[in-house]
Amino acid sequence: MIKYILSYGRMFCMAFLDYLINGISLGSIYAVIALGYTLVYGIAKMLNFAHGDVIMVGGYAVFTAMVTWGWSSWLAMLFAIVVCTVLGITIEKVAYKPLRKASSLSVLITAIGVSYFLQNMALLIFKEKPKVFTSVVNIPKISLFDGKIVIKGETTAAILVSIVIVVGLSLFINHTQKGRAMLAVSEDKDAAQLMGINVNSTISLTFAIGSGLAAVAGMLLCSSYPTLTNTTGAMPGIKAFVAAVFGGIGSIPGAMIGGILIGVIEILGRAYISPQLADAMVFAVLILVLMIKPTGILGKKVNEKV
Amino acid sequence: MKKKLNPQTRKSFITYGLLLIVFIAVEILLKTGSISSMLQGLLVPICVYSILAVSLNLTVGILGELSLGQAGFMCVGAYASAIFSNLVKDSITQPVLRFTLAIFIGGIVAAIFGILIGIPVLRLRGDYLAIVTLAFGEIIKNVFAALYIGYDSAGLHISLKSQGDLGLKPDGKMIINGALGIGGTPNDSTFEIAFVILFISVIIIYNFIHSRTGRAVMSIRDNRIAAESVGLNITKYKLITFALTAFLAGVAGVLYSHNFYSLQASKFDYNLSILVLVFVVLGGIGNIRGSIIAAAVLTLLPELLRSINNYRMLFYAVILIVMMICTSNETIRTFFIRNFQKLKGLIIKNKSGSETVKEAE
Amino acid sequence: MALLEVKKLGISFGGLRAVDEFSIKIEKGELYGLIGPNGAGKTTVFNLLTGVYKPTDGSITLDGEDITGRNTIQINKAGIARTFQNIRLFHNLSVIDNVKVGLHNHYKYSSGTGVFRLPKFFKTEKEMNKKALELLSVFDLDKEAYLPASGLPYGKQRKLEIARALATQPKLLLLDEPAAGMNPNETAELMNTIRSVRDNFDMTVLLIEHDMSLVSGICERLSVLNFGQLLCEGKTSEVLSNPEVIKAYLGD
Repeated sequence: MIKYILSYGRMFCMAFLDYLINGISLGSIYAVIALGYTLVYGIAKMLNFAHGDVIMVGGYAVFTAMVTWGWSSWLAMLFAIVVCTVLGITIEKVAYKPLRKASSLSVLITAIGVSYFLQNMALLIFKEKPKVFTSVVNIPKISLFDGKIVIKGETTAAILVSIVIVVGLSLFINHTQKGRAMLAVSEDKDAAQLMGINVNSTISLTFAIGSGLAAVAGMLLCSSYPTLTNTTGAMPGIKAFVAAVFGGIGSIPGAMIGGILIGVIEILGRAYISPQLADAMVFAVLILVLMIKPTGILGKKVNEKV
Repeated sequence: MKKKLNPQTRKSFITYGLLLIVFIAVEILLKTGSISSMLQGLLVPICVYSILAVSLNLTVGILGELSLGQAGFMCVGAYASAIFSNLVKDSITQPVLRFTLAIFIGGIVAAIFGILIGIPVLRLRGDYLAIVTLAFGEIIKNVFAALYIGYDSAGLHISLKSQGDLGLKPDGKMIINGALGIGGTPNDSTFEIAFVILFISVIIIYNFIHSRTGRAVMSIRDNRIAAESVGLNITKYKLITFALTAFLAGVAGVLYSHNFYSLQASKFDYNLSILVLVFVVLGGIGNIRGSIIAAAVLTLLPELLRSINNYRMLFYAVILIVMMICTSNETIRTFFIRNFQKLKGLIIKNKSGSETVKEAE
Repeated sequence: MALLEVKKLGISFGGLRAVDEFSIKIEKGELYGLIGPNGAGKTTVFNLLTGVYKPTDGSITLDGEDITGRNTIQINKAGIARTFQNIRLFHNLSVIDNVKVGLHNHYKYSSGTGVFRLPKFFKTEKEMNKKALELLSVFDLDKEAYLPASGLPYGKQRKLEIARALATQPKLLLLDEPAAGMNPNETAELMNTIRSVRDNFDMTVLLIEHDMSLVSGICERLSVLNFGQLLCEGKTSEVLSNPEVIKAYLGD
């Protein structure tokens, strides 16, 4: 009896550990996407609804380069990053820049429009049939506990890449001139302008970085979950926004923490509560966070001036 | 002195008049059999989308907040009423009575959801409110898609797992079958009923806007801090508006669910909320008549011009972006206003003077 | 008993003491001025009085009622109304509707009465229109009643804000720089308006102002705020000739 309980307990622990690792892996991808939201929200003070769809564009870019044109995976990844960066800058210039002084309602509706535009453009170009994505990761898998737990290369890649990005981005923002300009613009756009910072180019840079990160997230996401459709980016995008809010919007470490928590909640919820309700649980987290601590784990309070 | 209607009242009466004219025209065409069956099938959906659009316009245009949960409220209304109609379809055989009850049930249940969601959410503003309503809409859709309800001699059985989990007796019947949704709902929606509901919805909305409550809501939209300073309870008025929006969306859901034999929760996804938003934006934010026209035109157009069907969604996306940039960017807006006034000046050369002051009551 | 009695009011933002030990006593029917250099904390005092900020110390008593720590809405209902330094009108509403929003808590009918157009709706709306037009005519705005508020010239927008505040039927009216951006003619006209508001509505007025011609022209008593603290108070002529006050304004 005791032996049975012990073996059952061990199995349970192994399964839990496996889910946890998967959750952290998915969460790392969310974290990379959440960074894009957080940067843009912090600096342009807008919710870039189309951010999730840039991920999808990144996925298609890699797919096209590798499958259709037969490029190597490294070249394809580089291509995707360039495509998304250019796309991000273009979106900002064409759709958001004219609305810099408009109400947040107009900006949000425009962003939804851009998101819808990207999704349906992709649908016209790549059609409805899902594309099967070839993983761009070639890291060997790691076996633990005599093969009871296998960590796939994609999992390792997602976790490593997200750590590198968070560290790199923090260094960039705190220790370079362009990074500090971004901080200044996020504090006070007008004051930054008066101090001689080029606000327009700083905002462009922010979109470029965010979209480049989205391309990376797209590759990681499609390598782990290899079906690619025109709405591939939508749900992960919204969940990553939840992660950004959870961690405290505007905060880089917050995005990382929020992303991983959301990923773990989603995978554990899927495994232990209900597969159909996993998404609902993630959204429930968002609602709880906003009710209890709207500024998130690491966010700061902003007062409205009267 | 002859009493003149004030501009607001005049505006609403023009809308009522136009609606009636269209209704009579459609009825005549129906009687003479000059409407294709394909178009006939669109009549109820047009009313449904119009109700959704005018009710969303209440939140977007009058309250000034973006809600992306319209499909969720519609889903609640559709399901609540379909469950009701399925349960009573053998005991209440009078379709109009049954449908009237269903409409109230769908609307009220949706309004209750609206209030329950609104209480925690309406403290938030702008982007957060939009994303949370979107989240709620998705939760509602997911929960309904995972819901199994059946009944037998022992009563109602509810499960979130599977049909087998219900443990129905052999005489039992399924009402909601998870992702397969609801089947067998009586087809009580007719164009006439749908039109009457639309007409009443429009009256409710106009009357709401031009009342003490509507004024309070618009003042909150224009300047929240000033509205507080004159003693307005912000949360209360936001909640009332939100509940009314949810109620009407729920009613639209009732019309929708009783128009089709079967119904799946997956129909009420995020894309539907966006579609309704497109109607509101194209018709003009805050413009009730515009919402109805946009809903009707954008529902008819893809059906009439099949060739553009593939580009329909892309077209919607472009509408959102272009409309926003044209109405919110100072430079572009001034350009439009200047050129539009030139045009207007050419058409009505002889009319002059400030109309607004003259036509006040 | 004083209409407004503020004792040792204070608030900190982070480490900054924005207002400290601020006390003031205003009698009913007074025209009282609050002056001081830029950044002295005058608007913060208004925000404390109207519940926009919660004071960390001190007490506020209005007409014998302790209103410390109440929110903006409760304070308006208790009897304090205000205008804003940067005009805050309901710019998409008509001029008369701006005032009718001010009348909101005094002319009531339910949302249902409004939606179903019950008789009470027509009766109350008629009364509201009458009252609103009456108020507007005091400010010479009745001809523009049905224009959108955003279309009014600057000076009239300031007046409309006062009319809206009065519509809430306050005991105390707070005006935050009412003459800001006005030319001397408009300022002179505004002075007459404020005086007539005090006389006709039996109002008590506390105003923040930089325009010394307005302050010396209509204020009976003054308090001077400097670095968040009360520098001095008293009759207008005495305060304005106080060397400390002159020093605070002109610097050393």
